[in-house]
Amino acid sequence: MNPATHCAGHILAIEDDPVLGAYVHEQLGRSGFQVTWCQNGKDGLALARGEGFDVVLMDILLPGMNGLDVLQHLREHSATPVILMSALGAEADRISGFRRGADDYLPKPFSVDELQVRVEAILRRVALERRRSQGPVRPESDDLQFDDLHFDVTFAGRAAGLTRSEFRLLDTLNRHADEVLSKAFLYQHALQRGYAQHDRSLDMHVSQIRRKLKAAGYQARQVRTVWGKGYVLSPGEDA
Amino acid sequence: MPGRHSLFWKLVVLLVAFCLLMIWLSWSWGRYMETQNAFLSSEARQALKGYAAQAEQAWQDAGTEGVDRWLAAIRQRENGWVAVIGPDLQPLGSTPWTAAQSQRLTFLRGLEWPVSRRSQLLPWMRVPFPHDAGAGSLVIELPERFMPGRYALLWHLTITGIIPGVFTFLLCMGLYRLLIAPLNRLREQANAWRADPLQGRLTAQATGRGDELGELGRAFDHMAERLQSTVALQRQLLRDLSHELRTPLSRLRVAGDSEQDCARLRDRVQREVQGMQRLVDDTLQLAWLDTERTAPALEPIQVQALWDMLAENACYESGWPSSQLQCRVSADCWVQGNLNALAQALENILRNAIRHSPPGGVISLAGRREGDQWLVWLEDQGGGVAERDLERIFHPFIRLDGSRPGDGGFGLGLSIARNALARQGGTLWAQNSGAGLRLNLRIPAAYNSME
Repeated sequence: MNPATHCAGHILAIEDDPVLGAYVHEQLGRSGFQVTWCQNGKDGLALARGEGFDVVLMDILLPGMNGLDVLQHLREHSATPVILMSALGAEADRISGFRRGADDYLPKPFSVDELQVRVEAILRRVALERRRSQGPVRPESDDLQFDDLHFDVTFAGRAAGLTRSEFRLLDTLNRHADEVLSKAFLYQHALQRGYAQHDRSLDMHVSQIRRKLKAAGYQARQVRTVWGKGYVLSPGEDA
Repeated sequence: MPGRHSLFWKLVVLLVAFCLLMIWLSWSWGRYMETQNAFLSSEARQALKGYAAQAEQAWQDAGTEGVDRWLAAIRQRENGWVAVIGPDLQPLGSTPWTAAQSQRLTFLRGLEWPVSRRSQLLPWMRVPFPHDAGAGSLVIELPERFMPGRYALLWHLTITGIIPGVFTFLLCMGLYRLLIAPLNRLREQANAWRADPLQGRLTAQATGRGDELGELGRAFDHMAERLQSTVALQRQLLRDLSHELRTPLSRLRVAGDSEQDCARLRDRVQREVQGMQRLVDDTLQLAWLDTERTAPALEPIQVQALWDMLAENACYESGWPSSQLQCRVSADCWVQGNLNALAQALENILRNAIRHSPPGGVISLAGRREGDQWLVWLEDQGGGVAERDLERIFHPFIRLDGSRPGDGGFGLGLSIARNALARQGGTLWAQNSGAGLRLNLRIPAAYNSME
């Protein structure tokens, strides 16, 4: 557990269930993360405060100290991203989790793939935010003009009329052109919140972006759905 | 101002009438008793007249001597001062007046005069001889026992204390019967529910009243009705859920007992777990929609964009070509709703339509503006359902057999859709369109939709 080597992603998992905890520990470890596993809320809080973790993965129902309380105490000193896990899938729990500063919420049961996607989305967002200070890098867009001032794109002099969220989303997709971005990452980065199963706002924004780009006459590239993975901005099939 | 049937008016009438009655009673009875207590009783008058007759007799029989004798005799019986006087106010007996007596003789009372209770001394009564009033009179200090108003205190107490007390007691009994007895019935009813789960209802007498207590009774019954239906729904859900869970569980058990191939077993476990998770999620969702009372956050939603999103998903899931899912709703169709709930409702309806469509069937969405609302309908070509089932398909875990093509699902989709729509102020109902089933959604229009 050497904090110096956490460039690959150092994760603190606070989970009291021995089976699930061991499983998460093993699977994430296999994916190349360095995982510290702790079974108790108080110890977890002490660890999270002490060492420099990249992500904290935490159950809500914990012995010793409730996960939401741990989160609240942690937020007094640290901005370490936190993913809450819980079998309490109700909207109210998710909302109170986000309100106390959680970065994502993962309802149990979940697959390791999903967990990994979310952890990566958060790590990536953190990395991007660190890089952002060095100045934006924008791939040359031959035809679509991004207007940061008015949060809109124009094509051949015609504004598409995007909303702010739609603009941020398209901007993110454009910066990573031809790269499939996971929904978890897009929620984190463009909409600045965690992804939930029944949340359709991202899909709706994409649907609107497609309609607006089409209305503006832009057909060179389009936002395409990659099933089970996410979205990508790439040259359209019928272009 | 309270309504015509309000308890307020009952209380006003009752209390005002009671106050007026009390004031009138104490005033009129008080006056009556006052005058009654100021005059001599008829018994006292009889006795005094009797003395006067005796004195006249004595005077006529034996003159001064007779009067002296009679006076001596009467003083044995009465303690007060007694004299017999002539018309000139001089004694008919032999004893002359003292000065003080002369003084008092100037103010004598007749028998019919009221007697003041304020003077310290007992009053002197003048009773003329009954046969010859001119011949003389008897003057007698009124004996204590004849003094009127001896029971005045008692009467006073009765009129100002006991009678108002009794009347107030009666009023309180009336008020208690009017106000508290119905509340006691409510309490008994609430207690009765402990033993019998929400079956009992209040009597028609308790709920038929026009006033606030009647309203309370009706609200109480209404609450019981709602509670009962919620409890019944939850029980039904739980029963159906455990029933539905048993099927995959028993399949898993059989597979665990007999399946030898590890890869196939794993595949089977994953499939069943997925199905069970979906079942539990849907049931929880339905229960949550049914119990959640806070209003969802509403936003304007463009139905076309929503449909694009759902149709893309549905085509991927079902492998349908997108040409079979048609949208005839105009671009100005903006509704005011909760995105996730509306998407879920429409998605469930769409999935249901796809599941029950014949191969190559077309599903179309159309809509028109009706006042402040949009009426949007989704039509399939699956042949529709029997008229009597048009409402039943919205009940949880209802799966119609045979008549329509397609299977799968737990029968929760349409219940969830209806509840999700109801939460954002919409309605959902089904009708047969001839070729298939037509599901109608009525949703409030968003502010910026065109007229």
